[in-house]
Amino acid sequence: METLTARGRWRRAAVTLVAGVLLLAGTLWGEDDHFPFGPFKMYASAVDPDAPAEDTRLEATDAEGGTVLLTPANTGFRRAEYEGQLGRFREDPALLATVVDAYQRRNPAAPPLREVRIVVRWHEVRDFEVTGEWEEEVVATWRR
Amino acid sequence: MAAVAGAVTRWLTAPMPLGRVAAFRTLIYLFVIGDLLWFTRWVRDHGDLPGELYRPLLVGRLLPLPTPTPALVYGVFGALLVAAAIAATGRLPRLAGSAVALLYFEWMIIAFSYGKVDHDRIGLLVALAVLPTVGRARHGDRTRSEAAGWALRATQLAVVATYFLAAWAKLRYGGLDWLTSATLTWAIIRRGTFLGEALLAAPWLLIAAQVGIVAFELLSPLVFGLRERWRHAAVGFFYSFHVISFATITISFMPHLAAMACFLPLEKLRPVVWLRGALRGRQRAGGGAARQPVAVAGDPPVRRPGEPADRPQLE
Repeated sequence: METLTARGRWRRAAVTLVAGVLLLAGTLWGEDDHFPFGPFKMYASAVDPDAPAEDTRLEATDAEGGTVLLTPANTGFRRAEYEGQLGRFREDPALLATVVDAYQRRNPAAPPLREVRIVVRWHEVRDFEVTGEWEEEVVATWRR
Repeated sequence: MAAVAGAVTRWLTAPMPLGRVAAFRTLIYLFVIGDLLWFTRWVRDHGDLPGELYRPLLVGRLLPLPTPTPALVYGVFGALLVAAAIAATGRLPRLAGSAVALLYFEWMIIAFSYGKVDHDRIGLLVALAVLPTVGRARHGDRTRSEAAGWALRATQLAVVATYFLAAWAKLRYGGLDWLTSATLTWAIIRRGTFLGEALLAAPWLLIAAQVGIVAFELLSPLVFGLRERWRHAAVGFFYSFHVISFATITISFMPHLAAMACFLPLEKLRPVVWLRGALRGRQRAGGGAARQPVAVAGDPPVRRPGEPADRPQLE
């Protein structure tokens, strides 16, 4: 058997303890910003069974008048990411120009985009069931 | 107090076979390559995003790490592939392993600094951080080692903490209401499969599932108190939970699943040895009678009947 020195053993115990305390503190008081010690809050909020469920999308109108859905594949920007920065886009819609840049960089041959908007579709939910009704809210719009 | 600290420290460094670390290491570094190329290949796309969308995490602001550019993203990507490939062979375990740990951490900053942090990989991050501390470990080596024991234990703790602390986070953000909330309903509406959508018809089943999830998360640390056979069964249950999550709400937790293999007796898996054995069997079957020499690359080209081979025969 290969053994550790007493020092090696205590050092490993100390590292384990510090990491454990940080992780516990992150769970109790931390935020995502404290990665990798933030709370494990995947699906941790309690969703009201009568509250509408949101479905957010980024869409654009191109120079030919067509509607283009902006996806992770054509921009490199994921839904959860623009949802996470929704407050910034709401305050400063001009920031959407950066998404246009990302789209144009990845699709140099596509017709240029005239307008971009973040739209939230609120699906109505009643007693755990989707009724099929929905309303749309435009959170931010940027025009060239 | 000293006795308790001593017992805890002995438990943290309880010896494990070096061959288990060798196999786990290969699995983890191959997973890193798979993660870069398939599972989270979207990280590379962040190289195309303008710097204004980069919102560095605290650690990225403290160090301070640079705003990603295509050169940085592809540089880290290429270096990680090379370092992980070397580390997967077991060569340069400290140097290549440390390089992978540091580069992958930067890769995570690039991944999670655009508005969304994933919570599926603390086990993987801990594995990457601790594996280099073991040093050399040969596949199939049954020698027990305390350094190997700690590396595996630390990863196990991180894997179980993912469950246990996820239950705490639910109580913190959702409170007890989480149990009877529409969280799973909402998850299915957003990203459910046809299997998940079938469950929408039975909200009571989804509530039962929510109660079951919190119960299993809170009880998960008990896995450390189980005897080996039951411990493996519990880990099998953890894996099956993720299979169901993936089948219903397409959440895969791949890095967590890779790290969780640290609970299993991986030293018994010897794919290369098995493959060699199978090839040998084929050669014998295709050659002369059993135990008769068969031409093998590297043998002397000519040998008189009855002349012994100058190398030990395959056996």
